[in-house]
Amino acid sequence: MNKVMLTVLPGFKIDHTQLPEQRVEEGAAVKQIALLGSDLPGLRPKLLCEQGERVTRGQAVFHDRANPDVVFVSPVSGVVESITLGPRRSLSALVIRSDSDQPEPDPVVTAMSSAEEVRETLLAKGFWPAFLTRPYGRIPAPDAVPDAIFVTVTPDNPHAPDPRVVLDEGQHDAFAAGLKAIALLTSGPVHVCQTPGTNVAAGCGDRIRGSFFSDAPSSGLSGTHIHRLHPVDKGRSVWSIGYQDVAAIGRLIETGVHDFSRLVTFTGARAVQPRLIRTVAGANLQGLIREETLPGNHGSPLCVLSGSVTNGRQASWLGRYHQQITLLDNTQPRRMVSKGGLLGLFRQASSRPAPVIPTAALEQALPFDVPVVPFLRALSVGDAETASRMGCLEMVEEDVAAVSLACTSGADYGRMLRHVLDELAEDA
Amino acid sequence: MTGWNLDPFRMRQRTGWTPTRVTYVQLIALAAPVAVSLAERGLQQIAVLLAAAVTCLIWEMTFDLIRGRSLGWHTVTVALIFAVLVPASAPVWQIVVAVSLGVVFGELVFGGRGYGIVSGAAAAAGFLVFSFPGTELSVHSEVMALATLPGLALLLVGGLVSWRVLVSVTVVLGGAGLIQDGMGGLLSAAVAVVFVLVFLIGDPVAGASTNLGRWVFGLLAGLLIVLFDTAAGPAIAPAAVVFASLLASLFAPLIDHVAVALIIRRRGLRHG
Repeated sequence: MNKVMLTVLPGFKIDHTQLPEQRVEEGAAVKQIALLGSDLPGLRPKLLCEQGERVTRGQAVFHDRANPDVVFVSPVSGVVESITLGPRRSLSALVIRSDSDQPEPDPVVTAMSSAEEVRETLLAKGFWPAFLTRPYGRIPAPDAVPDAIFVTVTPDNPHAPDPRVVLDEGQHDAFAAGLKAIALLTSGPVHVCQTPGTNVAAGCGDRIRGSFFSDAPSSGLSGTHIHRLHPVDKGRSVWSIGYQDVAAIGRLIETGVHDFSRLVTFTGARAVQPRLIRTVAGANLQGLIREETLPGNHGSPLCVLSGSVTNGRQASWLGRYHQQITLLDNTQPRRMVSKGGLLGLFRQASSRPAPVIPTAALEQALPFDVPVVPFLRALSVGDAETASRMGCLEMVEEDVAAVSLACTSGADYGRMLRHVLDELAEDA
Repeated sequence: MTGWNLDPFRMRQRTGWTPTRVTYVQLIALAAPVAVSLAERGLQQIAVLLAAAVTCLIWEMTFDLIRGRSLGWHTVTVALIFAVLVPASAPVWQIVVAVSLGVVFGELVFGGRGYGIVSGAAAAAGFLVFSFPGTELSVHSEVMALATLPGLALLLVGGLVSWRVLVSVTVVLGGAGLIQDGMGGLLSAAVAVVFVLVFLIGDPVAGASTNLGRWVFGLLAGLLIVLFDTAAGPAIAPAAVVFASLLASLFAPLIDHVAVALIIRRRGLRHG
């Protein structure tokens, strides 16, 4: 009876997955990395390299056609293996095979003591895409100035890396140096949003403020931080950046080395040993997980997510902004058998979202001060004006991912929000 | 919009509510009241129940076939709620006509459960009372009221009934009951309305969908019950409660519209 109730009453399923051990190990050697179009929606690249060409770490491989100053660099030295373009001349993936024989470029330390120098260096060295604007969640224009910068030093769920553990890996000095550099880009405050504890940004200057957020699942997202501390709207724009990118900028300043290494967690029911590993942004997941995967029950196939269960995507490469690799059982869908006869007529998979039934779970899933159900209705009909008046400019896809999972409709509100945001961005 | 569903993998990851799960939980919540109604009213009630359920399913199947969708079972809950509301003495043909009208024009023409603006069961019961003079909805006993409580608890825990609506209706009715008859009035009022309050007024689809709106919706429903009831007579007439729920649902979109306008205004003031 108990089990029946648990399957019927949603929200009562307990997550039995083991939490990752917050201990760092080296990941398997990365043979291939990719720069992915799915990390850069709406971007049309102008390629600066060709297939088969040798590239060194930190060398620009393409730039944004609309903003030639925003360049994207190779995180490793190696050979460009393949370049695939997606629809409308967007990038699908640019794959680089790393080559350990190739000499690493000499470190070049550049001065970063003024706003102009920081801006030029970050643009030229390929660190600009670490910033994302809010509203719209896009890479900022090269000449834009934000009202504030939000540094996200919070895990977005219990399975993400604990930022304090990551920074304790000898990254505190680099992090502080990076903070001081990016603070030059704005005249407003730099909010360092972190879990309760000692202030990781203490003594960096009075514009760099530590803000503390509880461990609740949604309070790790930068959308929540921005909503609480500096709500954005048309004409009020802030940038957000992850703590690992700030530390990478700090290392660039201190040593001149392009360091795109990243600490990510292995989690999920199929992970052998949930823990932190050191790897590179864009790494090939096949190579990383080979030694890390448990066999599935009854031979069920493996599902590899870059990112968390809520926000991640099924992928074969680690995303630019992801800090988690989730290994799950891919349970087989109950097959929609189209039996002949009368019963077959009543077994049709719907291509249309089901209705929104206003349950209390919806309000808990969206931590913004918006009327949830009317907001979801505005999104589902693509009413950009109403959605923007209710506050959709404060959100990006990751903020509504939990609502999509909680809602009866099964609609992908992330895609609907992106559709509305794109429309608003065109008008802005 | 079409083609905006979650991708199949994420669809399977959902542990939250789906329309089918909502229907299951409502059926579980309805089990005790239906059992009590069967025990109290005997064989005739079985006929009522069967007539309502078969009519509902036939209409549901017809609309699903026309729209090319898989079969939903939600109209069965409509039939169960309706069967608890109506008297066992009602002729079967009247029940079939009333249920058809309620479920088709209250729900199915809008696209089914979740797309309409009124509860199908409320529409059916209202139609029965309106069209066939002399028909009175059944008066609920204390046992029925008690049997509703476990379902109420289940729906509250699952978040399928808003406590805001329940509290504001109860406050209005309690105030009115106290003024009229003191403590005794309070209890008899609670017994008379609790089933309709949980399954019709508390229906998340038919009510307001903003938190501010839910308070106002509950107040309005409570006031309408008092108003219709004063017109009808001393004890709270079941029909008064059903009509109050119908009329309040019609006002729910307007209440939501005003509530959303207020929330947007407050947001504008805060952001400067």
